[in-house]
Amino acid sequence: MLRGALSIVWRDLIVLRRSLFSELLAVVASPLTLFFAFGFGLKGYITAVDGVPYAVFIAPGLISMTAVLAAFEESAWSMWFHRRVQKTIEEYRVTPITVYDIVVGKLISGFTQGGIKGVAVAVVIFLITPFRFPLQNLSIYLLFIALGSMIFSCLGTICGTVMDKPENIGRIQSVVIMPLIFMSGIFFPLSSYPPSILPVIRLLPSTALFEGARTALLSGASSMLSLLILGGTAVVMFALAVVVFNRKIEE
Amino acid sequence: MPAALSLQGLSKRYGTLTAVDRFSLEVEQGTVFGLLGPNGAGKTTLIKMLTTLMRPTEGDAFIQGHSIVSAGKKVRELIGVVPQENNLDRYLTARENLVLHAKMHGIPPRDYRPRIDELLELTGLSGRRNDFPDTFSGGMQRRLVVARALVHQPRLLFLDEPTTGLDPQSRRALWDHVRTLRSRMTIFLTTHYMDEADSLCDRIVIMDHGKSLVDGSAAELKARYAHAHIYELEVRRDAQRYEELFSSLSAVTSLEREQNAFRIVLRDEESLKPLMDSMESGDIRRICLVEPSLEEVFLDLTGKAVRE
Repeated sequence: MLRGALSIVWRDLIVLRRSLFSELLAVVASPLTLFFAFGFGLKGYITAVDGVPYAVFIAPGLISMTAVLAAFEESAWSMWFHRRVQKTIEEYRVTPITVYDIVVGKLISGFTQGGIKGVAVAVVIFLITPFRFPLQNLSIYLLFIALGSMIFSCLGTICGTVMDKPENIGRIQSVVIMPLIFMSGIFFPLSSYPPSILPVIRLLPSTALFEGARTALLSGASSMLSLLILGGTAVVMFALAVVVFNRKIEE
Repeated sequence: MPAALSLQGLSKRYGTLTAVDRFSLEVEQGTVFGLLGPNGAGKTTLIKMLTTLMRPTEGDAFIQGHSIVSAGKKVRELIGVVPQENNLDRYLTARENLVLHAKMHGIPPRDYRPRIDELLELTGLSGRRNDFPDTFSGGMQRRLVVARALVHQPRLLFLDEPTTGLDPQSRRALWDHVRTLRSRMTIFLTTHYMDEADSLCDRIVIMDHGKSLVDGSAAELKARYAHAHIYELEVRRDAQRYEELFSSLSAVTSLEREQNAFRIVLRDEESLKPLMDSMESGDIRRICLVEPSLEEVFLDLTGKAVRE
């Protein structure tokens, strides 16, 4: 089953390699700006959150955000472009690969690109800021990022599959993706929410991702509930991506 | 050996619209088969079903004995597809486009490398192997799409309007290339160009409204539909008088004159005798039967009204 998927990943990595420098430059700019604006700009006003310096508090979230946004964008735009502009999806579909190959290939590509871009941001933040973390915490943090990238990659695949107009992908990003990210405690602690809505916020997969990833990276603790929410959401989103893609190409 | 292609009551309906209506057909191995029809006749829907891009509403088709409904993956191993639009990957070089196709067919590098080199050589793209398709002319892009469809050595090649938009030189070059393939595989071609079908196809089916209207070789179709009985006749003298005379004959359904030459369409085969009887034998300089072109057969069957 993976032959077709890996062929698609091979293709996507060749294309990424050709524009790696400009891609990384573009992807590092946004989280770094946020880091400087919030981490340094608000440092005088917010000294620490739950005993963690504010710049350190937001750094893991910015790295996670870069990774999942890159996964979403790569999957959504790539799927849309291959389906609507180049029509290469049609070429893939007349070869002996399956629908699963195409969806899994695009997921792995989105996931890989998210990982590469997340690492790039992490390296830059690590080099130019005092942000540090215990290395033994990295593996569990990466597990959170992997699940988060998979969810956002599936979401991107679904958007790129169902949306025929490119501007609608941008709208989804503004109306769904960005609020999900910003509401999930990247820039402020969840305890800031009124107690009445906090349980709802805690159930959001994005909260499980950003809050869980930060806790994992800074303290090494992993929340089983967060991992379960992320794992369950990833499975559901993958199934949904396959069904939606299958249905769309039958039209 | 099973037929290269066998369609058994294949249908596709969209709500109340029937795009392909219980289409049945057998194509022998090694045939260059041409499917003609006006826009909206159902050709593309038929090809999409045969290439497993679309599921039929009813019926089935078999490629080398494998069902398009239940053995899609096996069918896709056996077919090559050149679609109407050049769906090349513009971010991959010409060679990388072919390599990606080979990888999707699971061909190991030791096998696909020489094959791709050979195809690039055959299609005259060897010198441009590391260039991106966006920098190619329309004809070169088309040749690359054909080369891509041949990487895995298909048994049945679908060419969906392969020369649309190409200049005459590129069309001829592609025809020459298709002729070199006919000994190795069965070719299923759709086209709007009657000269293309006439020149390339061993067998032609003209379809409209989802149904097959007529089936045969180009020569057979022309002979079968030569019922218009068109004659070119030239007289030595009295052209004006003969024009009036021919116009008065009920056997003549259409008459065109240019000086002493007439183009006469007769009602039927029996109409030739009254025409000849009406003339002085010494006045006839030349008379010949005009064979209808494939385009005339096509228009006769599908009508002259422009389709949307």
